[in-house]
Amino acid sequence: MKKYIIVLVLAIFIGCKQEVKKNGKLQVVTTTTMITDLVKNIVGTKMDVQGLMGAGVDPHLYKASEGDVSKLFNADVIVYNGLHLEGKLEDVFEKMRHQNKKTIAVSDAIDKSTLIGSEYFASNYDPHIWFDITNWEIITKYVVAQLSELDAKNAISYKENGVKYLASLASLKITIAEQINSLPVEKRILVTAHDAFNYFGKAFQFNVVGLQGLSTATEAGVKDVQKMAKFIEEHEVKAIFVESSVPKRTVEALQEAVKAKDKEVVIGGTLYSDALGSAGTEEGTYIGMYTHNVKTIVDSLK
Amino acid sequence: MSSAQIEIQLIASLVAIACAIPGTFLVLRKMALISDAISHSILPGLVLGFFITHDLGSPLLIVMAAISGVVTVVLVEFIQKTRLVKEDTAIGLVFPALFSIGVILIAKNANDVHLDTDVVLLGELAFAPFDRFLINGFDLGPKSLWIIGTILLISITLLIAFFKELKISTFDVGLATALGFSPVIIHYGLMSVASVTIVGAFDAVGAILVVALMIAPAATAYLLTDNLKRMLVLSVFFGVFAAIAGYWFAHWLDASISGSMTTVLGIIFLFVYLFAPKRGLISVLYRNKQQQVEVSLLTFLLHLNNHKEVNERHINHLHEHINWRRVQSKSVVDLALKNNMITIDDSIISLTEKGKNFTDKAIDYIITNDDSKIESIKEDFFLFRG
Repeated sequence: MKKYIIVLVLAIFIGCKQEVKKNGKLQVVTTTTMITDLVKNIVGTKMDVQGLMGAGVDPHLYKASEGDVSKLFNADVIVYNGLHLEGKLEDVFEKMRHQNKKTIAVSDAIDKSTLIGSEYFASNYDPHIWFDITNWEIITKYVVAQLSELDAKNAISYKENGVKYLASLASLKITIAEQINSLPVEKRILVTAHDAFNYFGKAFQFNVVGLQGLSTATEAGVKDVQKMAKFIEEHEVKAIFVESSVPKRTVEALQEAVKAKDKEVVIGGTLYSDALGSAGTEEGTYIGMYTHNVKTIVDSLK
Repeated sequence: MSSAQIEIQLIASLVAIACAIPGTFLVLRKMALISDAISHSILPGLVLGFFITHDLGSPLLIVMAAISGVVTVVLVEFIQKTRLVKEDTAIGLVFPALFSIGVILIAKNANDVHLDTDVVLLGELAFAPFDRFLINGFDLGPKSLWIIGTILLISITLLIAFFKELKISTFDVGLATALGFSPVIIHYGLMSVASVTIVGAFDAVGAILVVALMIAPAATAYLLTDNLKRMLVLSVFFGVFAAIAGYWFAHWLDASISGSMTTVLGIIFLFVYLFAPKRGLISVLYRNKQQQVEVSLLTFLLHLNNHKEVNERHINHLHEHINWRRVQSKSVVDLALKNNMITIDDSIISLTEKGKNFTDKAIDYIITNDDSKIESIKEDFFLFRG
């Protein structure tokens, strides 16, 4: 038996080739697609940015693949959301702090008093902070500052990119506000599969109702669906929405339940909640995603 | 290959060896399902341990989990002794109950702690290298490597110390009792080792892979050998092979590591199940077919032996008389000809000296059931073996 083990261990080591760090650039690993997009906008080509989660991946249910090991192992900087959005991964990141890796939790930038707390646990906050553009601006400044400190020789470039990105966020804010203002306040009811849009609701006076709780891991019960159908009937909600990273099933069940009450509710379209659209498309960027969501919401609720 | 990749393979290999040892005995004792049961029913132990220490890394968690593993076994035995239900039913009754107690304890008291069922069932081997064992800032390698290494060392020590006792109590409980070992103590000892191994490994690789590593290599090895020592070595070999091949499979597909290892284990088992020289599906089918032909051959030879008259021995008469299909009679005649047991003269079949001899011996064997007389014909035929 010992002989086998020795042979195997040798086989592993002979098979090794130490990977060389390419081109001297710092390696950044990001978690969600939103953060990947943000960091890419800030660093441009000065660092190599690799996202762990792809388009349409629900961060609550993300499973690491073999390739992610090498990404994390070679990373110099890790940028993640925090507030338990990434689940067990956050424990791993915290442990990595002791291994000469810089970890940045973007939620650290936000003042805790402005966060929406969980219904059940005082110390738990709603992690979907990116749906408030003001939060995203604060986060942009924070990430710029952190990365500039880490890579001083490119700091000027990061700051320039940061200013440029903040400008586009500011103009995004204006166009979004215009669109939403065309929708009367009493019509601002957003019904979705899970509670991802609370920050969005708070920023634009929407009444946000999620069919399931914060975690996408739990399933909506029959009672939840019935309650929600009644709510839709009473408030005469015109449209409900599906999310790209949550199965359509529950929302379709809700639509059926409303139909049973002789009311009509349409599925207004797909909103991007926990992940952006595919890379390369308009919805694959934070700004494109936000524009798409607001257009979909306003068009169907009008 | 980076050091993280080496560490993952090393951890997975050690887990594979640590699982193969108790796994072999579980498979031999027809208790494979108990590993699945333990992997779930350790949850309440983990949760209670966490409530006491408030530290997920505390060794008390492993102790508590191992205790609830043993409690599972005790409860299963208890229910089974009532003789109202069978063992597998008893297992199926006990572990969901314990597991759900664990789930409820988490839901009520520790919802924001990452002790959830997902982590319990699907540990993340990918992150194991990032959880280091540090003493005064000095890096001693991944924590799980130390945990599983310690468990492995204990298992191997126990295996060597109690090999004889384990062997006898596994194969012959009566003899073990007569010789003065207590099969009950050995049984609980084995179950404790299995519990500790599962607990130690589940954080690193997840319970599903632990169960797969306990059962699949041992079940595969059992298809290939009857020798306990060889079975242990083969189990270890298959486990380690699956761990390393599974890793590279995951690397190639960029997929989940534990998932790929489990897949490789399944593929190995399927391959051996089909192609194992003695117990494989194909060789069993071949042997059955062969035995059928040989039974026919014997019938045919007896027929020739009994009938001296020429018309009974005509080649065209065969399938009419013995009621065989033409193809079958041809293959039987061919086999007999090949073995020089018959000659065909002008479509009349006669027994040769060898054929006569063989038939006599066979008759003798059928009547007396005495093995020693057929040693010489055993070589050529499956029929008289075993």
